[in-house]
Amino acid sequence: MKTQVDEINRNIYDFKNADNYEYKIKKGLTPEIVEDISRQKQDPDWMRDFRLKALEVYNKLELPTWGPDISELNMDEIATYVKPKTTLSNSWEDVPDDIKSTFDKLGIPEAEKTSLAGVGAQYDSEVVYHSMKEDLIKQGVIYTDMETAVREYPEIVKEHFMKCVPLNDHKFAALHGAVWSGGSFVYVPKGVKVDIPLQSYFRLNSPESGQFEHTLIIVEEEASLHFIEGCSAPKYNKVNLHAGCVELYVKDNAYLRYSTIENWSKNMLNLNTKKAIVGKNAKMDWVSGSFGSKISMLYPMSILNGEGSKTEFTGISFAGGGQNLDNGFKVVHNAPHTSSVVNAKSISKNGGKCTYRSLVRISENAPGAKSSVSCESLMLDDISISDTIPTNDIRTDDVEFSHEAKIGKISDKTIFYLMSRGLSEEDAKAMIVRGFAYPISKELPVEYAVEMNRLINLELEGAIG
Amino acid sequence: MEINETPVRTARNFNINNINLENVNLPDNITEYTDIWISNSDTKVKFSNFTSPIVLTYGLGDSLTNLVKEMSNNRLKIEINSKTNKEIFIDYNFSNNKTLLEDIEITANEGTKEAVIIKYSSNSSVFHDGIIRINAKINSYLNVIVVNLLNEASNNFLSIQNNIEENANVKFTIIDFGGQSSVTNYYSNMTGDFAQNNVNTIYLGSGSQILDLNYIAELRGKKNNIKIDVQGALTENAKKHFKGTIDFKKGCKKSTGDENESCMLLSNTAKGISLPMLLCSEEDVEGNHSSSAGKIDEKELFYIMTRGFSLKDAMKLMVKAKFNKILETIPNEELKECILNEIDVRLG
Repeated sequence: MKTQVDEINRNIYDFKNADNYEYKIKKGLTPEIVEDISRQKQDPDWMRDFRLKALEVYNKLELPTWGPDISELNMDEIATYVKPKTTLSNSWEDVPDDIKSTFDKLGIPEAEKTSLAGVGAQYDSEVVYHSMKEDLIKQGVIYTDMETAVREYPEIVKEHFMKCVPLNDHKFAALHGAVWSGGSFVYVPKGVKVDIPLQSYFRLNSPESGQFEHTLIIVEEEASLHFIEGCSAPKYNKVNLHAGCVELYVKDNAYLRYSTIENWSKNMLNLNTKKAIVGKNAKMDWVSGSFGSKISMLYPMSILNGEGSKTEFTGISFAGGGQNLDNGFKVVHNAPHTSSVVNAKSISKNGGKCTYRSLVRISENAPGAKSSVSCESLMLDDISISDTIPTNDIRTDDVEFSHEAKIGKISDKTIFYLMSRGLSEEDAKAMIVRGFAYPISKELPVEYAVEMNRLINLELEGAIG
Repeated sequence: MEINETPVRTARNFNINNINLENVNLPDNITEYTDIWISNSDTKVKFSNFTSPIVLTYGLGDSLTNLVKEMSNNRLKIEINSKTNKEIFIDYNFSNNKTLLEDIEITANEGTKEAVIIKYSSNSSVFHDGIIRINAKINSYLNVIVVNLLNEASNNFLSIQNNIEENANVKFTIIDFGGQSSVTNYYSNMTGDFAQNNVNTIYLGSGSQILDLNYIAELRGKKNNIKIDVQGALTENAKKHFKGTIDFKKGCKKSTGDENESCMLLSNTAKGISLPMLLCSEEDVEGNHSSSAGKIDEKELFYIMTRGFSLKDAMKLMVKAKFNKILETIPNEELKECILNEIDVRLG
């Protein structure tokens, strides 16, 4: 008898609002369209020029020759900018009812009251709500939308914007540079510890459109932050595109934890880019749950530039029917005594495909580096696919590097053992799947992340048997 | 020349999908290869020069495959017709010839058992491009040992392709020491139920040697078993790419696959890149891989040196100890000694 693990119940994410927008840019990608976005956003000249340069780079770069087939993506069918009928507000009361109701259903305002220090909410291409607790403002923490940051903190933004993820990183990084809109900017001053997480939520409602939010976080020396990112969209018949960009700067002795619960709809191509530059003795932790999207190509990256810097990646992917989740992690050790720990898991079922793709590079100038990678894949039926494609590039001798991976189904012996302790077969299997996901789920901010409660605890645990 | 493509590509800037070799000149003036010595007088083994047309699923790439197809100067067909106790030893020693383009086809017929040793050695720079095809029929057992002791300025290219039928067992040992560039493509097509394949490899790189090993196993039958164990050491500016793919095809129920690669880095300018892939389209399987890299344990090194060994000799001893698990399975004491001597010579 097969274990029955239901697909993630998407009802709570699949509700659609009418496609009411103030302005929707025409489909396609031309210099005129990019200039139009720039006008709509009232960009300063440098940003307009940057966008046009990015478009040139985009046109020069090729599509990836590896990974999932994304040939169905036709930029002529995608509207890259959709302005909702509202402006940025710091009070939910001022957010239009249909949009507020969306975020209510997703539990964001409630979570803000109980367990978050600040919230940003983006609807299509614009941030519609942003707010942060007063005491953090007093400590000099900045948490705002990217457009405000470009206007009010131009020097900081110029110094960091698309420097961590350069335009020529890949084709969709360049696309992002050309059409980016929305996203969050966080600046944590030296020594400030933000004990309660900030959360940004990205919702794409408009069909045949794209979301290209830019998240820029700078955690100054000896400061710390936990940032949570959530995303979802209703399902449409045609392709939607998400090509966001996350740039994280973790300065010396600082700490940043970046948690993501991604649950895009199954018509979404999620071609996102996330990178962190980590300073001396600083630590960057990634926690990632990837549940949605038709195709996902997502490989967060830590660049360990400071001596003694550390990074940890903890991630889980769950691919159901029709999904191809090509996820993983990249780390470059660029300084002595750096360390990385990777713990990646995937579950594939009902014809879904999970691929773990990664890079560990220990460069010549990283003596004393340590890296430990573990990935495990669980297949729940015989029509699914699970691949592991890790690249390990070791360029010096004074290292400790190990990588291990396992692939397989639920062990019959383990089921037998649990059944001998009094559990039914279904309960035993459910417990094994929960146990498989536990090392990841315990790292996720369960008490804060509304998404996590719903996706792991409710859907995964409750739906087996 | 871009050769030795992986069966599945990954990001281009990971620099592992293939190897791009510059300054390799393909030979055009080929003469008959005469520096070959074959020991086996067993009448149950049939030798001929009439190999079947070459069709490779992977191989190193068209340029090198076509070179053998069109210009081979040594073709050898070996048909094993019953269990024998005497190994076949094929020695290519390059005393006079500088180029070998060989096509070896070995068929182990049903229920047979045999060991085949193929050794390449040279004292000067030579060019070797070879294809070894194995057909392991039902219930056969074949132990193949390939030893590359070519001069360090040589070019060594080798494509191996196995077809392993029901309950057949192919054991491959590859000793890969020689060549400025040494590029190997190893492919096992495990078609029969209960097919087994063990691959044990030792590589040693020094100077500016480049080694590129691309091992692919496709498991198609039920209860197939593949084990890949690759142990290596790199010194000076040597560079190694190891690409290992275990591909569980749909239907290979109850199959298992294990892949282990370990690289000992003996200098801070040596480089090891690895891509141990597991591809899985079948639920009821077990696949594992592990990969590790690092320098020699200093405490162990210190201990050996306290027993009177110099640093260099202590390192050699540890390399040999690491390789010993694989070396001791070679059924020819003279060859084993020869390999141990080569380790001493090549580590200087």
